[in-house]
Amino acid sequence: MIEAQKLCKEFQDKKRGKIRAVEQVSFRCLPGQIYGLLGANGAGKTTTLRMLATILKPTGGTALVGGFDVVKEPEKVRAHVGFLSTATALYGRLTAQEMVEYFGRLYGLDNSTLKRRIDEVFGRLGMDEFRDRRCDKLSTGMKQKVSIARTLVHDPPVMIFDEPTLGLDVMTARTIVGFIRECRQQGKTVIFSTHVMSEVEKLCDTIGIIHNGKLLAEGTLEELRHRYQQPDLEEVFVHVVEAAA
Amino acid sequence: MKARNVGIIFRKELTDTLRDRRTLISSILLPILLFPLLMGGVIGLSILFIKRAEQQTAPVMLLGAENAPELVRQIRAIENVEVVPPASDYVQKINDKKIQAAVEFAPGLEANIEQHPDQPQSITVYWYEGELRSRKTLQRIQKAVREYREEIVKARLVARKLSAADAKPFEFEQKNVAAAEKVTGNILGFILPYFVIILCLTGAMYPAMDLTAGEKERGTMETIIASPATRGEIVFGKFLLVLLSSVVTTALSILSFAVTVIVGGGILGRFTKEFVIQVSARSTATVFVMVLPLAVAFSAALMAIALIARNYREAQGYIAPLMFVVILPAMGSFIPGIELNATLAMVPILNVSLLAKEVFAGQYPWKMIGLIFAWTCVYAAAALWFAVRQFKREEIIFRT
Repeated sequence: MIEAQKLCKEFQDKKRGKIRAVEQVSFRCLPGQIYGLLGANGAGKTTTLRMLATILKPTGGTALVGGFDVVKEPEKVRAHVGFLSTATALYGRLTAQEMVEYFGRLYGLDNSTLKRRIDEVFGRLGMDEFRDRRCDKLSTGMKQKVSIARTLVHDPPVMIFDEPTLGLDVMTARTIVGFIRECRQQGKTVIFSTHVMSEVEKLCDTIGIIHNGKLLAEGTLEELRHRYQQPDLEEVFVHVVEAAA
Repeated sequence: MKARNVGIIFRKELTDTLRDRRTLISSILLPILLFPLLMGGVIGLSILFIKRAEQQTAPVMLLGAENAPELVRQIRAIENVEVVPPASDYVQKINDKKIQAAVEFAPGLEANIEQHPDQPQSITVYWYEGELRSRKTLQRIQKAVREYREEIVKARLVARKLSAADAKPFEFEQKNVAAAEKVTGNILGFILPYFVIILCLTGAMYPAMDLTAGEKERGTMETIIASPATRGEIVFGKFLLVLLSSVVTTALSILSFAVTVIVGGGILGRFTKEFVIQVSARSTATVFVMVLPLAVAFSAALMAIALIARNYREAQGYIAPLMFVVILPAMGSFIPGIELNATLAMVPILNVSLLAKEVFAGQYPWKMIGLIFAWTCVYAAAALWFAVRQFKREEIIFRT
């Protein structure tokens, strides 16, 4: 489970002074569900997810991820999370297998478990034919599969995806979407951020609309449409954002 | 901090680095080839040019040859000297390197030497200082003139019934009491510390940039910091690799130097007994141990600085000025007359440079060695602390 409690993040900018990237954001994401964080560029999605993944430290509030506090137990949180974003690239000089093995070891897996998990994940994602190929020689789709394998190798109960389909072609994006669905079926807690409405409509059990660092609205697609009397998610989003302006 | 995680990160960085051609060249190939190329190349080329200068025919102009027929005959007899017709633009011709030298004989030179022995006569040689062939020609002419003068002196002594000892009442000798290896140790002590310190830095430079700014550029920094490894573990894993690279570069450069010295010394030994290049295993080991904490400090400081950069290229821009900060104190061994004292022992890099100079010259001031080692360890610890702190700063890690 993920439970954000009044999460805040402030940055110090030389020109603009103090910037509040995330302000008092609270939400709950349950196991076997997908929570979609919907927002425009610069809304605070990435910062929120980075705080949940303990890559950034909150300046206020906290969150429980997989039962661990992101402020007090960041290492334990990271050990129970699979984090995937467009910014989490691969080591080009390592092979696909070496890349996944490296992270498996850092997640504390012993040799036999690691071998079993790699065989399992590589088989499931159809990666066996390129397991010994260097990552810098792989296609975009193959690279995405290696990244997915990296996040899955330790079988984490919580998955965090930060705009995972950004800049990908249709086929590769479909692989990612399919993989996110699979995570839900396996009972994992999934949160993902995007600004693509169709992805949210297709995938999410709960939607949170974030704008200027604030969580403005939250609910299922039906609840949101009903609450704001709008025909689709795009209209709901525009309505909520404009009302806050 | 878990040693297991540090080990995992170190092993991965090692695999990664061994596949990086750029780092392999700077850490392994460069130190192995540097000294043999430098020493062999410089010595070999010098010998080649000197031999060529000696073998080539040197055009020489004789001005007023009719004033010294005997001396002119002797100059014409010098091997590889070709006398060319005199011309008034001889200075220009020397500057244009068309002739190597011009010899001017005063009017009535030989007749005056004969008839007016009490009046000093003069011969002038015009040459091009700094030009090897011109210098060689000058030396040959000087030899011929000296022999001619000695013949005249000898004849005059005989005529006056005097012996050679009357013209030379005493000998003035200089004798070196320092052992040959100490003399060469002193010479090496000037140059070697500088190279060892610079190689220790360059060995760490490329992996330090690759593992920090390079990771940011390739987008893998966020991948690794999202793993359960702590920032401290990541820093130490990476740092160990950078340190290993620095130490391997330094060790290889010292080894390569030793082999060059043994081989080169053997070749030089055939020509001269006075110049024996010898470096003891003890002095080499002492300098290596002293350089270790310096390698720690360099590795950590380079990582901390390169991490600020957004990419590899920007990191090079930050590191380049650091080279000057290191080069200046590393050149301390070049400055004659600086003596190590407790104050200088505190100055990073300069202290190791000066100490290495003493050690190569066969001096082992153990108290000073301990003091400098301790100070360098303090700087190394400070640099490491700084590197860990940099990795914990979000504005640095996410500066992309």
